[in-house]
Amino acid sequence: MTGLDPSLLESLLARALRRGGDYADIFFERKRSQSFRLQDGVIHEASVGMTMGAGIRVISGERSGYAHSDDLSPESLAKAADVAALIADDPNAATRSIAIVARVVPAMYDRFDEAPIDAAIIVDYLHRADVAARAIDRRIDAVNASFSSELQEVQIAASDGRLVYDRRPLLTLGVQSLGTHEGRRANGYYGDGGRTGIDFFLTTTPESIAERSGHIAATNLDAREAPAGEMPVVVGGGGGGVLLHEAVGHGLESDFNRQGTSLYSGRVGERVASDLVTIFDDGNLHGERGSLAVDDEGTPGQHKVLVERGILRGYMQDHLNGTLMGTPSTGSGRRQSFRVMPQPRMCNTHMPPGDSTFEEIIASVERGVYATSFAGGQVEISKGDFVFMVAEGYLIEGGKITAPIRGATLIGNGPDAMTKVTMVGNDARLANRSYTCGKGGQYVPVGVGMPTVKLSQCIVGGSRVG
Amino acid sequence: MSDSLRIALAAVDAAMAAGATDAEATTSIADRFSAEARDVQLTKLEQSRSRSLAVRVFVGRRRAHLGTSDLTTEGIGELCARAVEAARFVSEDPYAGLPERFASDLDATALGIAADDVIARAADEKVADIRELERRIRASDPRIDNSNGSRIGDAAGETSLANSRGFRASYRSTSASLGTSPVARDGESKRISYYGTAGRSYASLDSTTVVAHEAVRRALAMCGAKTPPTAKMPIIFERDVAASVLGDLFHAFSASNIAVGNSYLVGKVNERIGSPLVTVIDDGRLVGGLGTAPFDSEGVASQATTVIDAGILKTYLFDTYYGRKLGAASTGNAGGGGAIGVNNLYLKAGDTSLNELIAATPRGILVLDTIGFATEHASGVYSRGARGLLIENGELAGPLDGFTIAGTFLEMLAGIDRVANDLRFDSGVVSPSFRVAEMTVSGAG
Repeated sequence: MTGLDPSLLESLLARALRRGGDYADIFFERKRSQSFRLQDGVIHEASVGMTMGAGIRVISGERSGYAHSDDLSPESLAKAADVAALIADDPNAATRSIAIVARVVPAMYDRFDEAPIDAAIIVDYLHRADVAARAIDRRIDAVNASFSSELQEVQIAASDGRLVYDRRPLLTLGVQSLGTHEGRRANGYYGDGGRTGIDFFLTTTPESIAERSGHIAATNLDAREAPAGEMPVVVGGGGGGVLLHEAVGHGLESDFNRQGTSLYSGRVGERVASDLVTIFDDGNLHGERGSLAVDDEGTPGQHKVLVERGILRGYMQDHLNGTLMGTPSTGSGRRQSFRVMPQPRMCNTHMPPGDSTFEEIIASVERGVYATSFAGGQVEISKGDFVFMVAEGYLIEGGKITAPIRGATLIGNGPDAMTKVTMVGNDARLANRSYTCGKGGQYVPVGVGMPTVKLSQCIVGGSRVG
Repeated sequence: MSDSLRIALAAVDAAMAAGATDAEATTSIADRFSAEARDVQLTKLEQSRSRSLAVRVFVGRRRAHLGTSDLTTEGIGELCARAVEAARFVSEDPYAGLPERFASDLDATALGIAADDVIARAADEKVADIRELERRIRASDPRIDNSNGSRIGDAAGETSLANSRGFRASYRSTSASLGTSPVARDGESKRISYYGTAGRSYASLDSTTVVAHEAVRRALAMCGAKTPPTAKMPIIFERDVAASVLGDLFHAFSASNIAVGNSYLVGKVNERIGSPLVTVIDDGRLVGGLGTAPFDSEGVASQATTVIDAGILKTYLFDTYYGRKLGAASTGNAGGGGAIGVNNLYLKAGDTSLNELIAATPRGILVLDTIGFATEHASGVYSRGARGLLIENGELAGPLDGFTIAGTFLEMLAGIDRVANDLRFDSGVVSPSFRVAEMTVSGAG
């Protein structure tokens, strides 16, 4: 197992708690990555990377002290432990002895190899993606494709005796297609992959990813101005889960709720959505981007019910906030790297199926928007206003999907939008695996999913009035 | 010789030994401090030395890049070998290679980017600042009853660049920042805001009094906000949000996006793309600027580049590679990792105050904040969630939120009809407030 020597970890944990404190942990990381980029039909650039180091944290009540080191010598690590220890100042602190015991963690990822993926295979896939995207529409004149893969090995030791190891693969093939129509440029992006190795392509082809990218670009080349104003919006299955991530998910992260800064603070047990709405956050879905055998504090990834038939059931907890709120961690403590402290974060946020068919949902809309592909979103957690950006969308007129519209931002307020969920499709699915979530400057891979959902009213941020 | 330069030189040697025909290495070593307080309590204290190495290897006209935090001799050697191996799979590219000319003026002293007060200041004093911020915001108004914390942070470090053509140079730099995020109670709702200050030195930062006042003002200003009706009207972008528009605009004139057609500014050099009030400059040598350095990540001298001159697009921003590809010289904008970066990008200030600009607007919205981000560099469609203040008869007339503003970047640039005089260099991308004659506000109805 890759990592620091367990006896060194024990002495560092004891050293970190010399001045007092409730808890100390050490996060060791070794991440190897590689990526290849295709541009103008040729392999443009390659990159390889290594992130290796360890971070030491001391928690004392609501206070956290932290230091990290990329120098893994016992002397440098001891210095980091001393800096982290500064947060505590208990005059009666006694020397503690820490004993850690390795725990086995469940398998959570698809098959992957220890060695980096063969570059010849990657190059072949990128060229196949390039050809396939261009074949979708003759107006597509540029394709950018990138293939990246990494293996992150982590070792987590804590003063409560835990010692866990996890090895997390991550792979993404992303394709951007660009074209011109009547002097106007448009693009389409699609990516897929997950916590998987090259065997991902036994069941998916580079062509299918590229073709989806090409289709979005071709649609956007024909798109007209998006409408402005309030209207019904049908949010497409899969990637539409960005709605849940922004409208509800962030507001249920426990740091905001412990501090009382989220609009969902203190509302467990209350109605926060229509009774058609159930939302899960799962850390234990095999191979998804947000899945974790253990989180970055060593707690196993779990199934969490956030909202059940419209009633708020619970928050996503990490160790610090869970301890302060008197509930166990839900395996939601995540961090971008050894350089930063963990935060409570989402894993894979999704909604189970409802009763309506896709056709019934579209047919119910006289005039509105059908959004099928999303570029991301953002939320302000105190008042709860959120946006999500449509990358592919269509008008619905007279119960039928008609013309494509250019990208527009949709804006709503969390509980208000969730109360306006009036139809939920029977077509629940997880999105393509290409989403990344940013919070407090830290970026982590996540998954989203949803059936087709109808919002009876939502503000569409287009530019065509009336 | 400093540690960072020694590591950079060793990395160049390792890359050449692994079979590279040219190599370039950048090392960055920085001591970072950060602390957070909430209410009267210190909640977070972090202190570390961060080290990183980035290397570009060239094997003839093929190139690969590596980034690592493993600075051991074996670690650097192994990764260089992997990078050279990866480069074998990259296509021959006639434009790949090190620059022909490197910066000759390597003295960063006159640039004002390293301040002694960052290194000298005691941790206790820094912590006292954020506890003071927490006290001030909570004492300012009874509606401020919570916060998302006050933060202070600084970094002091050295960057070294070496390559196989004999270029070797180092410079020291520092930075400091201070900010707070109060939460105001607004009936059943809450309003969170943020205001921060950043600079190369502690002396250049706004005082805790100013930071607390600005943050509180922004939180309280939004209390009782309503969603406006859907309509077309003038939009004033207040300077922080104006800077974010300029940041989006940068993607459109970055040569890496131009080269792949991912921009609405392809083929528009020497054409009018904005009103005569639009002059956009990237200045890599601005004294004390947060984006200032003596040379870019390839060792090319930093310079001031006028990108848009009185509405006319004059140039894109280039590194050496995209310059060669598009037939231009580097503008000193190599940002590392093969990306184009900004130095100090700003819109030239006008001569009226923001208040005069508001007074000259019969009906419109002063936008204080947007949410959402740029995704449409190709088409230039702009659409964001927004918060701000209604303007009626030249006066502020109440807060608005839950709406979007939309248009295209080209319409917005052409529509800029007033630019204020409130430009401040407190970030790498800054702008004075400006007004766009008409945008679509999408809200109720």
